[in-house]
Amino acid sequence: MPLTFTPVIGIEIHIQLKTKSKVFCKCGTDYANDPPNSHVCPVCMGLPGSLPVLNRAVVQQGMLAGLALNCRILPTTFFFRKSYYYPDLPKGFQVTQSDLPIAAEGWLEIHDDAGKPKKIRINRLHLEEDVGKLHHSTTDGRLEGASTSFVDYNRSGLPLAEIVSEPDVSSAREAVEYVTSLRRRVRYSGASDVDLEKGMMRFDANVSVKCSDGRWGKRAEVKNMNSFRALERAIEYEIKRQSKILEDGGEVLQETRHWNDTKGVTTGMRVKEFYRKFIVEPDLPPLVVSSSWVEETRARLPEMPVERAERYEKEMGLSETDAAVLTDSIDVARYFEAVVASGANPQRAGNWVRTEVLRFINEKQISVDDLAVKPASLAELLSRVESGKLSTTQAKGVFEGMLEGLSIEDAIKKTGAVEGGVGADALTALVKSTLAANADVVEEIKSGKDTKGKKIKFLQGLIMREAKGQAKPDEVEAAIEAALKDDA
Amino acid sequence: MKLGSDEVRAIADEARLSLTGEELAKATRYISNFLDMVDRFKELDLKGVEPFCFAEATECPLREDEPTSFDNIPDILAGRVEGTDSFFKVPRIVGEA
Amino acid sequence: MDIFELGARDVAKGVREKKFSAVEAFDSCFGRLSAYEGKIAAIITRTAEEGREQAKSIDARLAKKEDVGPLGGVPTILKDNMCTRGVRTTAGSRILGDWAPPYSATVWDLLRNAGATLLGKANMDEFAMGNTTGTSAFGPTANPCDITRVPGGSSGGSAAAVSAGYSPFSLGSDTGGSIRQPASYCGIYGFKPTYGLVSRYGLIAYGSSLDQIGPFARDMEDLALVMSVLARHDPKDSTSVQGKNLDFTLKGDAIKGKKIALVKDFKDFTLDRPIADAMKRVAGILEKAGAVITEVSLPTVARYAVACYYAIAASEAHTNLARYDGVRYGYRVSDDGINLKESFEKVRSEGFGVEVKSRIIAGTCLTEPVRSEEYYVAATRVRTLIASEFAKAFESVDCILQPVTPSLPEKIGAVDDDATKGYESDLYTLPVNMAGLPGLSFFTGYAADPALPVGLQLVGPRWSDASLLNIGFDLQKILGNPRIANGGL
Repeated sequence: MPLTFTPVIGIEIHIQLKTKSKVFCKCGTDYANDPPNSHVCPVCMGLPGSLPVLNRAVVQQGMLAGLALNCRILPTTFFFRKSYYYPDLPKGFQVTQSDLPIAAEGWLEIHDDAGKPKKIRINRLHLEEDVGKLHHSTTDGRLEGASTSFVDYNRSGLPLAEIVSEPDVSSAREAVEYVTSLRRRVRYSGASDVDLEKGMMRFDANVSVKCSDGRWGKRAEVKNMNSFRALERAIEYEIKRQSKILEDGGEVLQETRHWNDTKGVTTGMRVKEFYRKFIVEPDLPPLVVSSSWVEETRARLPEMPVERAERYEKEMGLSETDAAVLTDSIDVARYFEAVVASGANPQRAGNWVRTEVLRFINEKQISVDDLAVKPASLAELLSRVESGKLSTTQAKGVFEGMLEGLSIEDAIKKTGAVEGGVGADALTALVKSTLAANADVVEEIKSGKDTKGKKIKFLQGLIMREAKGQAKPDEVEAAIEAALKDDA
Repeated sequence: MKLGSDEVRAIADEARLSLTGEELAKATRYISNFLDMVDRFKELDLKGVEPFCFAEATECPLREDEPTSFDNIPDILAGRVEGTDSFFKVPRIVGEA
Repeated sequence: MDIFELGARDVAKGVREKKFSAVEAFDSCFGRLSAYEGKIAAIITRTAEEGREQAKSIDARLAKKEDVGPLGGVPTILKDNMCTRGVRTTAGSRILGDWAPPYSATVWDLLRNAGATLLGKANMDEFAMGNTTGTSAFGPTANPCDITRVPGGSSGGSAAAVSAGYSPFSLGSDTGGSIRQPASYCGIYGFKPTYGLVSRYGLIAYGSSLDQIGPFARDMEDLALVMSVLARHDPKDSTSVQGKNLDFTLKGDAIKGKKIALVKDFKDFTLDRPIADAMKRVAGILEKAGAVITEVSLPTVARYAVACYYAIAASEAHTNLARYDGVRYGYRVSDDGINLKESFEKVRSEGFGVEVKSRIIAGTCLTEPVRSEEYYVAATRVRTLIASEFAKAFESVDCILQPVTPSLPEKIGAVDDDATKGYESDLYTLPVNMAGLPGLSFFTGYAADPALPVGLQLVGPRWSDASLLNIGFDLQKILGNPRIANGGL
């Protein structure tokens, strides 16, 4: 009987909590456009004699993220010094809550590879400080072969939450679903922007493989994954690598492995794990959070995406896909809900937000909150479509104008749209001339070759363009069909 | 508990220290005296005794989230960060620290 | 009488009343320093220029009739583990090189705001690890009472400076006796406050949960005056306690009705004759002044405190000293042809002295994942027992009278700096730090043979700082004040 292999995967995620200042000092966190080592002070540089003072917002954001992941908040927790030597670590230790965390025992629901719902347990979410950033002088970013490395301490002391899952993940796909869902929930909570491109979310995976003959390989800790794709590929690679070793009768080593995204492989760190040990951080007394603070925080937690999407389906009759897209970001969901609250038909509003609004904000790379068209105005526009005063195509043109900051009336004027659409006579004339100019197409339709209605759509498109968006698509289609019938 | 000089050398290596022969001898003597002394703890029943962390039953004070730039960054960088690249420099990193 | 012979209160008064200027006070003290440094070697870095500028500014403010603070124009000296912006700060080590901190310790901010002027930074055992000032990378300091002897440590430079009349007061730090022992050796007063009373911000850490800054002075009034300036909540130090407003006014008549204890479990340990005599004498004086002399039992302290201290101090120290890698500041080596690990090793091996290396290795050893539970964590549990034992003792007594050290200062060079060697030599000071208690080292008089000062110690419960200083003040009236030492008695 051929051997089979079951992966056992635990995921560790570091997210940067959203605060204005660093975790233990007052240096600002917004340094994206500033030179290296421009947001530093004695504390985050680990200068002799400096001492940490904890930022209240970090505790607040940590709790929010924990609650978003269904965690329990622990009333009293400690900080530790985790020691190892590395130039990006200015004190020679990292201050971390480690296994006495602010939040513990959470879970997230995902789907297993067969599509069945599955819970991934979250062991804990703990607070810690980020380290500085190392740059290497080789152009391709490899560590090997560099002659000098450069250190920037702007990142040193940024607030992080490390989220440690139980080893409940069984495949690379599950891993991606888990981190996707986790990311969405954390972003919803407002605890972090979890912007992957800005390094606000980083992954490590503990991967081991159980063989059907009872052998269980040791676990490898795979590091350096900064995207969902990298996480997926690294886990897939590691499962294959370990399965092959077991298949060949070998032994999987317990080690830390480095994901090389360019080569698509993991490589063992040449020496054993960094030397890490813990003592209590004597400079920080126990962190105590009152139950009233926990409850206030819980009350601030918005409705989460899955629950929200279910409500859209149930109460508003939206499709699963529409509901999922609209709830992907809380800003968009809130915009959509505001449009509906202003009286728009939920399905029409959902469709509009999903297509027009998202297209525009994605194209312009702006937040929905910065959109010139406020929810009430969009609702007003949609109500005119609803009542037949504007065709959908017309409305799109008006929307373009509104995006430039025009009022709905001015936008209507600018586009030259006439409310009520193209007059019936004008449309009939337009259809007639168009059909005449495309006799070959008309012939094809008549011969019954246009089984999928593509040719009709083609003619419809021509007429719509000719009508400069002032015709309603369904009316045009009806007019074409009527004309074809007449012609026959 | 006693530690041999090889063990002491290995611990020194973890602490990024290389010792001369004389230093190693002194450190080995020191650690052995030290451990003899600390071995006294074994006489005590420490079950149920909480670790002492802080002299006062205080809570960690929390600071408001208001960013303020440090007023003397040039002196933090003085002598280490030259020119416009403003990075600290370290020797090549070969796989590990 | 020269200005340098005055106490801090009298210097401040003289400056305020314009009997002499702050610059004159500074110059007098600096002159004394310059005359005796050759013999004593108490100072690592002299700050003549900076200090004189500070003095000038005090005089200028006085001319404008501004309030210059309770220490206006009083010259002082800081142990060289307290950061002073723009002034080299070494912690007695090579590894900090010529590092000039970009910021100042809170205690220096407080003193400067109170009008003090800086004469220099005092010698100390490297990173405060030692009790002779002999582990300093800058060489040993001599005891002004007998220059063939050690001044004690680790704040030996600060103690010697006050004893020799460089300044009326100075600051030291006390992790396991580093203020109280040198104060006793140099024949002055030294106070280790309750942990959390004085800010540690800007104090280069040794054992963070044990370190506490405190003053040296030649009389109790100055000691109390400096404490009234230093005892402030500091939002930059998370272990600085809020809401304790201790009144350091010395009122007198503090001994009457106090229950003062001797420690039963210390009786079996031997003391040098002058110290044993002083214990008897002072107990008698206290009793005569209306105190009830009684006994307390501290068996866990007596047997385990020293071991516990060294375990905790080393464990914390090795993390505090992990930052010295040459990358950001301090001692650096040429990186040519060596890798990162070799560079770190080179910096640390050349930069640290052997005592510091031994303690780093000890701390690394005790906290190794395989040994941590057995040693480091066990030590933190033993510490709980020690703290509770003291707390229980202080339920029935007001304070404890005990020696500072079992012996008088040794000859320079005669001491093996292996701190774990003589268990008993540290027994009277370390436990106080274990429990975060205040301890006053006070002058009792001079022994005849050898001719050296003898100090003793009062230890009280947490936050009894002002009460201890009041008792010390009353004792001073009976025991008399020390005199400025000239290199011999």
